[in-house]
Amino acid sequence: MKRLVLNPVLDKEFRSRMRTWKSPLLISLYLGVLALITLGYYWTQQQSAFYAGFGPEVGPQIYVTLTIFQLMLVSFVTPAFTAGVISGERERQTLDLLICTRLSATSIILNKLLASIAYILLLIISSLPFFSVVYFFGGVLLSEIGQVFLVYLMTSLTFGAIGVFCSTVFRKTQVSVVVTYVIVFFFLAGTVVITAFLARVSPNFSGLPLIAYLNPVVALFSTFPGSFSQEMFMSFGVGGRVVGANTPASNLLPWQYNFIGDGIIIVLFLILAIILLDPVGRFSRLKQLFRRKRKVQVEIDDEEIKSEAHPG
Amino acid sequence: MLRIENLSKKYGKLTAVDNLSLHVESGSIFGLVGPNGAGKTSTMKILAALLAPTAGRAWIAGEEVSTNPARIRQLVGYMPDFFGVYDDLKVEEYLDFYAASYAMPVRERRMIIGDLLELVDLSHKRYAYVDSLSRGMKQRLCLARSLVHDPSLLILDEPASGLDPRARVEMRELLKELKSMGKTIIISSHILPELSELCTHIGIMEMGKLVISGTNEEIVHHTRGGRTLQIRVIDRAEEAGLILQDELGLAEAPFFNNSAVLPFSGDDEDLNRILTRMVASGIPVASFSEGSNNLEDIFMQVTKGAVQ
Repeated sequence: MKRLVLNPVLDKEFRSRMRTWKSPLLISLYLGVLALITLGYYWTQQQSAFYAGFGPEVGPQIYVTLTIFQLMLVSFVTPAFTAGVISGERERQTLDLLICTRLSATSIILNKLLASIAYILLLIISSLPFFSVVYFFGGVLLSEIGQVFLVYLMTSLTFGAIGVFCSTVFRKTQVSVVVTYVIVFFFLAGTVVITAFLARVSPNFSGLPLIAYLNPVVALFSTFPGSFSQEMFMSFGVGGRVVGANTPASNLLPWQYNFIGDGIIIVLFLILAIILLDPVGRFSRLKQLFRRKRKVQVEIDDEEIKSEAHPG
Repeated sequence: MLRIENLSKKYGKLTAVDNLSLHVESGSIFGLVGPNGAGKTSTMKILAALLAPTAGRAWIAGEEVSTNPARIRQLVGYMPDFFGVYDDLKVEEYLDFYAASYAMPVRERRMIIGDLLELVDLSHKRYAYVDSLSRGMKQRLCLARSLVHDPSLLILDEPASGLDPRARVEMRELLKELKSMGKTIIISSHILPELSELCTHIGIMEMGKLVISGTNEEIVHHTRGGRTLQIRVIDRAEEAGLILQDELGLAEAPFFNNSAVLPFSGDDEDLNRILTRMVASGIPVASFSEGSNNLEDIFMQVTKGAVQ
């Protein structure tokens, strides 16, 4: 297990990624955008305030704005980091050299994903000071911030697994990136459209369809403090619906349902990527064995037909 | 060291490798020759556990390739015809990455990297970025990479392609050194004279099939007697042609500019008899010698130039 995770791929990816000027530039840009949002909101509040200081809702408002923007940034950045990890190796003509080492396909896929997610985590962690400003204003619990960071982690892992899968399937990075963004767009917007459509066709149905829980925004909204959560669901177009009411174990919160769905997606896409990457791995050998057995069966059938046609 | 039995690889309707059987002895250098699309790279990729065969089996040091890829990857060092390098790594880091990928301990890695860089003459580039190396240096670095886990079998697909003459000579010398270290090497190349000088065994592939294989001498012997008679006269070429037709049992013995190169399968006594008869007939012989087919001649003879 130790070798599976702490392996040379992860080490090399960190080294390569942090060596260039692109990394600090991206972190600076990322934090710059978050700073602009926070300061912009702060400034608008100051302009529209009737009295000196801030109302009790300012903290949660900045918090909600920041978390939504950060989720969008995570959703935007993750495919860019993961959708080229295998296809990039293929394009650079280094994939064969990597596969013919003793590293297993599982190890290569997991470490490529971990290296990308680690960088995204770095972006998320570097944004913590902005959240401490929010905490300073009050109105948000530390546990709620923790839940939001878990949503970010699961979202980046999910979109990352999809990106790694696409980069294994498609030979060209450009195609892989486009397809990953389309799938991510489906998770963010497609699920909303389907939810809205289902709400129209079955108005008596009071809950949210299961597909809505795949949307990380739903998961994020459900972590917001008190009234903000319902407000956000109203603006999301599913207002009036009881979140979680249609699920068998309705004591679970939407973000917990989201995590279950994400978990299934992550495992599924990673297994598929591992199978596709290994040219002569267990799966290929199983396929070969099946083909051989089928060939033997066909030969036996042919023999039987011949012996029936020419008895004796 | 290597045994292949009825190996086939199909890509849809295209048969890249067709029922290939081969045996390579330990410590030998086997040159795989063939036109583009002959199936050399597919065969090599199957042996390096990078491609699953459609049918047939191969064993390296007794291990079956398709059932135990992990063990095969430890036994084989593979250098593909086209390869990339991680430009953002330094030479030492590049080799260290691959050594770590073969689960080698850190201390052992440091030692072997130094030895390998010395072997491929890149010690002075140890801390240089891979990006800054020339093509020849990158080829040598890739060869060092394929040796990092001390494999018993080296599979080198066109290791000298794209190299300038000096780099090619350096690569050849390097392979000779590896041979002296007891490595078994399978090498494919288009530069046939170099292969014939380097290899102990040759196999010629065409359209996925192994047309001929054996030691250099065996192959020369099997192809049209293998040897030639090279003769040049000052004058009377027609008369010389008639004598040679008679002596060699040929339908015709054409001379061009008073010179001829004719297939010959006799021994030294036959040579002596032909020369004596020509001199006795008063034919002014300027030169008279025995030649042998080189690998290029043999390649042209046994292949039809067909590609899939």
